[in-house]
Amino acid sequence: MKEIIFAGFGGQGVLTGGLILAYAASTKGLNAVWLPSYGPTMRGGKANCTVKYGETEEEKVGSPAMEEADILIAMNEPSLDYLEFCRPDCHVFVNANAVSADYSYPPGVTVTRLDVVELADQIHNVKGQNLVMLGAVIKKMGLFDEAYAEQAMCKMFADKGKGSFNEANVLAMRTGFNAV
Amino acid sequence: MAKELLKGNVAVAEAALRGGCDFFAGYPITPSTETLEYLSHRMPELGMETRFVQSENEIAAMNMVMGAASAGARALTASSGPGISLKAEGMSYAAHYAIPYVVLNVQRWGTGLGSLKSGQADYYRDCKGGGHGDYHNVVFAPNSIQEMVDDIYEAWDIAEKYRVGVTIFSEAVLGQMMEGVEMPPFKKREGDLDWGIDGTGSKGMKYPGGDGQEYIDFELSKYERIIPEMQRWEQYRTEDADYVFVAFGLPSRVCVDAVDKLRGSGEKVGLFRPKILWPFPHKGFEELYRMNPHVKGFISVEMNDMGQMVDDVALGAKRAGYCVPTYCYPCGGGVPRVKMVLAKYNEIITGELKEMY
Repeated sequence: MKEIIFAGFGGQGVLTGGLILAYAASTKGLNAVWLPSYGPTMRGGKANCTVKYGETEEEKVGSPAMEEADILIAMNEPSLDYLEFCRPDCHVFVNANAVSADYSYPPGVTVTRLDVVELADQIHNVKGQNLVMLGAVIKKMGLFDEAYAEQAMCKMFADKGKGSFNEANVLAMRTGFNAV
Repeated sequence: MAKELLKGNVAVAEAALRGGCDFFAGYPITPSTETLEYLSHRMPELGMETRFVQSENEIAAMNMVMGAASAGARALTASSGPGISLKAEGMSYAAHYAIPYVVLNVQRWGTGLGSLKSGQADYYRDCKGGGHGDYHNVVFAPNSIQEMVDDIYEAWDIAEKYRVGVTIFSEAVLGQMMEGVEMPPFKKREGDLDWGIDGTGSKGMKYPGGDGQEYIDFELSKYERIIPEMQRWEQYRTEDADYVFVAFGLPSRVCVDAVDKLRGSGEKVGLFRPKILWPFPHKGFEELYRMNPHVKGFISVEMNDMGQMVDDVALGAKRAGYCVPTYCYPCGGGVPRVKMVLAKYNEIITGELKEMY
């Protein structure tokens, strides 16, 4: 079972970022669940989603809620509150642009800091910060083959009628691949 | 075949249409609104054979559902706890007139306005009738989006077979989350109804009505058939369990994880999951008793504050032959965490948490 929390403020694309992971898992034939933050959390400006998927076709997802995440993606500092729902040896990906460098993490946690604002700016795609981050997570954690991840993302956006941005989206994801 | 990743509220709407639903009336309320929103563009796409109405309020929607169903439509309404309360008068009338229809309740937590948190606070109301008078709806309690799709796909067949209302018991989180789903093909009602208003006056509603013995016998005979024929449940690792969790909907999935964890540390526990809440699966408890009469206690896990299903769990255990305590973990709003279920289990076996019955 893989459990990933993608968290940030509304507008940072965290729900979409998580959805791409769930979609990539699901189209591979794995059982996947995507649970968005919902209700007061979403309305207060914070947003997050939990993605869980089986590592074999047989493995099913029990509880859909955040329990013991393997990976926490924090696009802002309040998102680090969710460390409470992470394994002690989890991997945290942090948006260095929004989280102070001297944040004190619990022992055992592996931290990868990435300035996704700067990286997205370099490719002139400020809205692509979530995809830069996603690319970094997929590559570093070996979640999916890079070509497959690109293809799954493009298919997802095309199905939603947003295929015209695929070139820019792929560039953003690749920027993430290359950053780690 | 790869499954399609769909949101619960959307999947259940599409599956309703595939199950023959051709009339929807409803009024928006979080967390069920996506169902109405999806149907508002999907039904016109299917053509003039279907009708979508966003009504002026909840009771109007329910009354429209009654009218459409009386004329032979496969009618649906959807809401959440507070909105269903507003439909209660219509639901009671539909029961009295033996009108088959389907209602989706995407439950949230709480009394009065409650909150937007996911919940299972409507067990008492929806499983014990809901409106005034003596009646029951058949209440499906799916724990995955696929099961919710399969349930609503079957719902009108059940509703028309018995001339009864069918409730699909969803939850905020089940409606909001996405999961892989395989959609069934479009189907239509097999054969014609032998009752209904079709403009010719040849059939009529064919229900006894009134307050005489004929009406009472009609109602009683209906429920006498439903109770034995609609017993559905699932058991998980109960064969040698000392303690059995009982849960429906999403808490049942949390309990599967809890059972696996506890088994991993040598605790003999299992899960009993009602797939239909009314009629309550007493037959399942009898099956469990025959297989494992040594259960030491039942633990009802529910997303409400005081425990509601726990009454039926205690009754189910007692009727099956058990004389053991029934505990309850009402976790309040939001899906309980596995850790919390483990902590409650620990309080139970150490005697810290007392039984409810």
